[in-house]
Amino acid sequence: MSGGWIAEIADTLLSVTIAVTPLTVLFLIFQVFLLKLPLGQVAEILKGTAIAAVGLFLFLFGIGIGFLPFGRVIGEALGALEQRWLFVLIGFLLGFFTTWGEPAVRVLCNQVEEASNGSIRRSLVLITICIGVAVWVALGVLRLLQGIPLLYLLTPGYVLVVVLMWLGHRTFIAIAVDAGGVATGPLANSFLLALALGASASLGDRETIVQGFGFVALIALAPITSLMILGFLIRMLTGAKE
Amino acid sequence: MISLLKEKLAEVLQAMAPLVATVCLLQFTLVHAPVELFIQFVVGSMLAATGMLLLLTGIDIGILPMGRFLGAELPKKQSLLLIIAVAFAIGFAVTSAEPDVLVLGGQVDVVSGGAMPRQAVVFVIALGVGLFTALAMVRIVTGWSMRNILMVSFLTALILAWVAPATFVPLAFDSGSVTTGVLSAPVMISLAMGLSSVLAGRSAVSDGFGIMGFASIGPIFAILLMGMLLS
Repeated sequence: MSGGWIAEIADTLLSVTIAVTPLTVLFLIFQVFLLKLPLGQVAEILKGTAIAAVGLFLFLFGIGIGFLPFGRVIGEALGALEQRWLFVLIGFLLGFFTTWGEPAVRVLCNQVEEASNGSIRRSLVLITICIGVAVWVALGVLRLLQGIPLLYLLTPGYVLVVVLMWLGHRTFIAIAVDAGGVATGPLANSFLLALALGASASLGDRETIVQGFGFVALIALAPITSLMILGFLIRMLTGAKE
Repeated sequence: MISLLKEKLAEVLQAMAPLVATVCLLQFTLVHAPVELFIQFVVGSMLAATGMLLLLTGIDIGILPMGRFLGAELPKKQSLLLIIAVAFAIGFAVTSAEPDVLVLGGQVDVVSGGAMPRQAVVFVIALGVGLFTALAMVRIVTGWSMRNILMVSFLTALILAWVAPATFVPLAFDSGSVTTGVLSAPVMISLAMGLSSVLAGRSAVSDGFGIMGFASIGPIFAILLMGMLLS
């Protein structure tokens, strides 16, 4: 047991180090040649980066020892359920709450509220992203249960996005595609993916790896569709020309 | 900083509580996992919550200003080339260091039967992200329509997906998630916001956002094309 923990700590440390290093090095290069900020400000930025790095380490480590193995166990239990609809429902709930807890999603929502001077509420964006992921995770569960090819879900999804792009409010296009990026953060990538893998293992069919691939793709598409629908609704309701 | 921590603590608790509560509920109704594993989950969530508190605080103090300063300073140099180069450097460097990309590279290595070694995959994905990040900056400066570019990109990706070998499709669309580093996302967005705030007639929202999403199309193209070339 303890040997596994040490390996986990070493792995996480390595991940965090390689995630923080290029950003810091690039910043220092820019600082010397371009920015030339006062030293106090540089120190503050580096302090913040160091705090963020420690935080990222604890966060990833906690996910690694807590959420990852438990996601798999939940997936196995759900895959063995007699009542298939219950699995779809729980997939919906876990999709919602996982995204609700994803740090990068929160940072994005804050940035949206700040950039729009408060005219777009962060809670509205957050809830819309979460609903989107919930719906698509439920669809992903259906896909696992029925063995639906990924492209049969992705194609209508992306076509819907392209259509809504023309019908909806322009402001939401940019936010929507960024949300697709942040929704697939570390929590979703590990917890929801482990859940999907556990489920397909206990469904006992097909190649587990192939089934697990593509789950993240659905989560990435999810908030794009839901925010574009929100943009569409807002344009309909306000009758704004944009 | 203490008041910032307090503010973030409320946010973290509100963020994590529903998920942890749902998992606990499942544990006692459906899952019934061994107690040891459940305790490990509880400890893991407490660590993750503490980590998230520090992460969000650190992002506010250090990471966001870093992007903001860069975004405000770059356009003053009056050089589109410099902006493109910086965007490319950030996109490329951050992606090639992303742990997810290494994992993905390993998966492509397996699916392609070793024809596409991991290092090559990582390089191609990072190149894809770098190019599309640079293109996103060009878009902000030139004011091209986001709609047109996205429409062409999405439809092209779909067409490629139907043509490319089926095993590469899920990998390609999963690779969209590699541009989403918790640290790189805020930098990119505040860089774009800084850039659009100094250019006349740009909206902080519809021009400041979109870079991450746009950059994630790069690796989708890269992996699909790779799959087609190999078959």
